[in-house]
Amino acid sequence: MKLATIAARNIMRNKRRSILSITAIAMATMSIVFLFSFLEGMKNDLACNLQTYYTGEIRVRNNNYGKYEYLTPLHLRIEAYEDVLKIIERNNSVKTLSPRIRFPAGIYRNGEIYRALGMGVDFQREKSYQDIESRIIKGRLPETGKKETLLGADLAREIGVTTGDKITILATTMRRGSNAVTLRITGIASFPVESFNKKYLLIPLDRVQKLLRMDGSVTEIIMKLKKGSSSMVSEQLNTALRAAGREELEIKSWKKIPSSYSFIETASSMYNFIALFFFILASSVIINTTMMVIHERRREIGTIGAMGMTGGEIIRLFFIETVFLSTAGSLIGVILGIGVTVPLSITGIHFGKAMEGFSMEISNSIYPALNLKSTALVFVYSVCMASLATLLPSIKAARVKPVEALRNE
Amino acid sequence: MMKNILLPILAAFAIPVSVLAISAEDVVRKLEKNTVIKTAWTDGCLLIHDRFGTKKTTFISYSRGADTMLIEFTSVEEEGMKILRTSNEIYLFYPDAEELIRMQGAALKESVLGSDMSYEDMTGDKSLLTSYRATLEGIEEVDGAACYKVNLEAKSSDVPYYREIMWIDKELFIYRQIHKFSRSGKLLKEISINNIRQVSGKNIPFHMVLKDTLKRNSSTEFFINDIKINLHLDPDIFSLEELTW
Repeated sequence: MKLATIAARNIMRNKRRSILSITAIAMATMSIVFLFSFLEGMKNDLACNLQTYYTGEIRVRNNNYGKYEYLTPLHLRIEAYEDVLKIIERNNSVKTLSPRIRFPAGIYRNGEIYRALGMGVDFQREKSYQDIESRIIKGRLPETGKKETLLGADLAREIGVTTGDKITILATTMRRGSNAVTLRITGIASFPVESFNKKYLLIPLDRVQKLLRMDGSVTEIIMKLKKGSSSMVSEQLNTALRAAGREELEIKSWKKIPSSYSFIETASSMYNFIALFFFILASSVIINTTMMVIHERRREIGTIGAMGMTGGEIIRLFFIETVFLSTAGSLIGVILGIGVTVPLSITGIHFGKAMEGFSMEISNSIYPALNLKSTALVFVYSVCMASLATLLPSIKAARVKPVEALRNE
Repeated sequence: MMKNILLPILAAFAIPVSVLAISAEDVVRKLEKNTVIKTAWTDGCLLIHDRFGTKKTTFISYSRGADTMLIEFTSVEEEGMKILRTSNEIYLFYPDAEELIRMQGAALKESVLGSDMSYEDMTGDKSLLTSYRATLEGIEEVDGAACYKVNLEAKSSDVPYYREIMWIDKELFIYRQIHKFSRSGKLLKEISINNIRQVSGKNIPFHMVLKDTLKRNSSTEFFINDIKINLHLDPDIFSLEELTW
């Protein structure tokens, strides 16, 4: 009789024990599939938020800005930014771009000054860059040239304002002077990032240029690329801008900009260790049950040994048995994991207030993303880990001498 | 021989003895009497030095007594901006802002136009002796001028600086140098005065250097280009209504 047939019969003979082993592996596999999908969703969300609100896929800035970023050195700017936009737009890989000015602002309201972050944007471009209209929960977008502003919902709540109200913004100008302007709130927006919702107010770019006395300049141009774009776009833009005599500009891919994404990337490798830990835990159940089986089946081992089965064949028998169990467990686990992940990837997991005070650029709702490659890897990993974990008790079983096994009751 | 040894010691003690001839309170009173001007019109400028270079800001100011002042900025960068100080309040006017901004609370700690001076430094209408306990610590020379060294320690916590040391010119009764400290004893600001000239019988410093020691590579110079004192000023120019016009 073939070893595989004997192994299958052994599995079926003690259903309760087999179900316990399969369940342990299935639960571990399901958890890992979900954990990896959740992490993938979190990474996608973080990347999307960083690219939309902070870094773009590629960012252009004055090459000295980063050195003094903590001082908001507005004078280290992109002068004649429209010329730079034209050069960038000539590159076919660029899908959409956004020129911006970021600055610390004080909002004067009823005698109090609230700390906020202002952002001068071209609202027409933002429509395509971040689908900003879909974020508006009340009112409309500010218009170019008008003294209008769009506030994050939490910021509006904090200072007690709504659409139609006026606020006065205080800011330090490019040459470190002081200026202020009164703006009418035309819209309230709900951004997915907590910190953005709480701190930011968006103002037409031309008004911010006037407020900060930096006509024709912006502090950054960020862009998104078409899908499947070459990784050489940064270099291509760099060459084009150098050729146009814009040596003062720095072109950086978002992955080279220090951000919380690098933390998540590091965390990903840590999650692999967590997965390993899960499997060791699940495997301990298999080791345990296999050891119990070996103990229970000593007479049987003795008999098959006396009938001529070698030590190697006994090891293979038990190994095949656990391969069957772990394959079944992993398969069920993967199916369950997909079953949990797919609906959540549509509805999302809403953290609500739990994300309050979380400094990362992660949304309040995370949509787990199933990654077929990592799911397949989890399946293979589960089978291998669970099977390897039974090698030790199998070897132990093979060492049992037939005479001792038959004598033992 | 003994005489040779004693003479320097006696000379050293001679300074505190002479100091005792005038009390710290008298020195401060004389200083305040001498520095407060009934009315003044000033044309001046600020040179703000920081790690990015030097920025020049020009202004015209009107003042009445020790606690009322209107500053109108005339440089392109700040054109139209005004600061009004009335009694113990500070208001800012900006041409594009539809309301006056009243500086209060933590906002007073902010720097004026990125300089080493805070809005808080512009406040304080009371006599120094109302807020501080003065002690005379001797006579020291500052830029070649003999000065009373007066230590001022806050009586209450409603003052921007817990402790100040002033070097007050013994002859002119204007300060030559001021060091301002926090409660923990950390030096926060240094002020030094140069180029003192007489205008209509008053000693006016035409150049002052202010240094915020918490800022790196930063200092602010105040220059007076022209000053007219004891002239008639329309009281309305210090009103909030006038400020918005």
